[in-house]
Amino acid sequence: MKVVTGVVGNDVHVVANRLIDISLRERGFEVFNLGVNTYLEEFLDAVVETDADVLLISSLNGEAEGWCRDLAILKSRYDFGDVVFAIGGNLGVGEMNPETLVPKYRGYGFDLVFHQIDLNVGLDRLEEHLKERGK
Amino acid sequence: MSLLQREREIIVHNEFTDRFDFDEVREFVAGASKNLFISHRFKTTDKMQVQPRGGFPTYDKVFKLYEEFKSAGVDILPLTIDSNTRLNDYATAKKMLALSEENDVDMLNGYPLINHGYRTTRKMITHFDTPVSLRHGTPDARLLVEIALASGIFEIEGGPITYLLPYSKNFPLDKAFLYWKYVERVCALYSELNEPINRESFGPLSATMQPPVIVLVIQLIEMLLSLEEGVKSFSVSFSQTGSMLQDIVSANVLKRLARKYADRFGHKDADIHLVYHQWMGAFPYDKSFSDALITTSTVIAAMVGADKIITKTRNEAFGIPTKEANALAVASVQYTLGMLQGLPDVGDEAEEENLANMVDEIMEAVFNDPADTLWRKVYNAIKKGHIEIPFSPHIINANEVITVRDPDGNIRLYDRGKLPISDRSFAFEKSKIRLREGERVVDKIIRDIGIML
Repeated sequence: MKVVTGVVGNDVHVVANRLIDISLRERGFEVFNLGVNTYLEEFLDAVVETDADVLLISSLNGEAEGWCRDLAILKSRYDFGDVVFAIGGNLGVGEMNPETLVPKYRGYGFDLVFHQIDLNVGLDRLEEHLKERGK
Repeated sequence: MSLLQREREIIVHNEFTDRFDFDEVREFVAGASKNLFISHRFKTTDKMQVQPRGGFPTYDKVFKLYEEFKSAGVDILPLTIDSNTRLNDYATAKKMLALSEENDVDMLNGYPLINHGYRTTRKMITHFDTPVSLRHGTPDARLLVEIALASGIFEIEGGPITYLLPYSKNFPLDKAFLYWKYVERVCALYSELNEPINRESFGPLSATMQPPVIVLVIQLIEMLLSLEEGVKSFSVSFSQTGSMLQDIVSANVLKRLARKYADRFGHKDADIHLVYHQWMGAFPYDKSFSDALITTSTVIAAMVGADKIITKTRNEAFGIPTKEANALAVASVQYTLGMLQGLPDVGDEAEEENLANMVDEIMEAVFNDPADTLWRKVYNAIKKGHIEIPFSPHIINANEVITVRDPDGNIRLYDRGKLPISDRSFAFEKSKIRLREGERVVDKIIRDIGIML
């Protein structure tokens, strides 16, 4: 199964990105890691180019929201079929209430939203979600 | 006029530099006080030199920081440059400097040297009459280094690899090599006029689970790239690994191989120094634990025989330290060093042999690349993944090497990626690793990164 991943926006926090990359490989995914400082458009281009099953965006500096608002618009321009859109990390600046944050990101077009959730827990949930979808 | 001089004229002629006077600068360097040269300090003392980190936007704040450091017994002063200047964005630095001066709030995380200019900055440097070390992180440091040298800053940190792979996603590596070649040449030119300008490489790299073999290879390569342009005084460096044994082994091998490779390439007259960085990874939030960490790393620096130590502060986990916290660390490190005279020589033959073998294996692979110059060979080596650093944001980095700690805390190669090291050397590394039954490597790495928390 193919996953496109990377850190969105002007965010150079590379350590977690590399750990996500290693974890996904350990779980048997084929990983296309775009690395840090990646724009939303680049992610979607990569999903199309690689025919990926999952897009897993991460963010640490809390600025992801501003970079992800346009996801629905970008998604509407191409038939992404059943690609799973997931985002995780620190999804807000300062202390945020996950109960308002998660629906907000779902509204932008993400199927899975992991705000300050342990890496393995998040990836377990991703795998469950893929199984439910019959992937 | 030489090609280099023509390039220099172009570099210093810009809207942010007020008439750069090459003749005046040459005269200043030729007649400068010996006390400004760390290369001279290294020649005349055996005492480990203590240097903190630090830099503020305004002249006054840096001046006060230096006063604080001097009263704490500092040996070498730092000048840390702000991040806009590091990215050659002098216009933003100028704006933020003006805001910092007007509002007494620090709008920059360092000193915008280009905007202050060399005439102003030189007044401060000569006033303190103490060696100053330029700390930055700039792939294109040509203008910055011209202004620094003209200011009386006679130690320049960095290099084309160590200031690129850990700091940048897509600045072109070949350009970084050529821009640093310029820096080396200018340092070499000024070195002929008075005491040598010291160049220092940045061994901590991305400061996350860096295996000594990679640190050492990059140190040796940046040293050779510098010496081949005529630099006569060079410091290799590395940061605390988290294992006392591994620090000692790294230092012993690095000292020996630096001399070996410098001599092999005809640089017998070059002075090589060793710099030790206190822990560069994530610091504990408990300040008394930070104090313990700083003291322990001072002991290790003494055991490895470092010529200079670069200090951290008890505020590390909380952001840029105040000048008081920073000076406190200097005083405390000096106090600890006072207790550490006449230490025994320690080492570990098997570990040192294996590390030296791995370094030699990679160095030979680099030298065997068919390219015509050393920098091109190194460039190819990085493209091929023969050299890579774990946890680099740069797109050219191979990202295949995986490291974990062994039960004694030593950082080991778990996956060697494309590093051209022999099966025998790699087997030695692998033999030290113990993973718990069913343990995920990534969980081990996460724990290993955070050992000091």
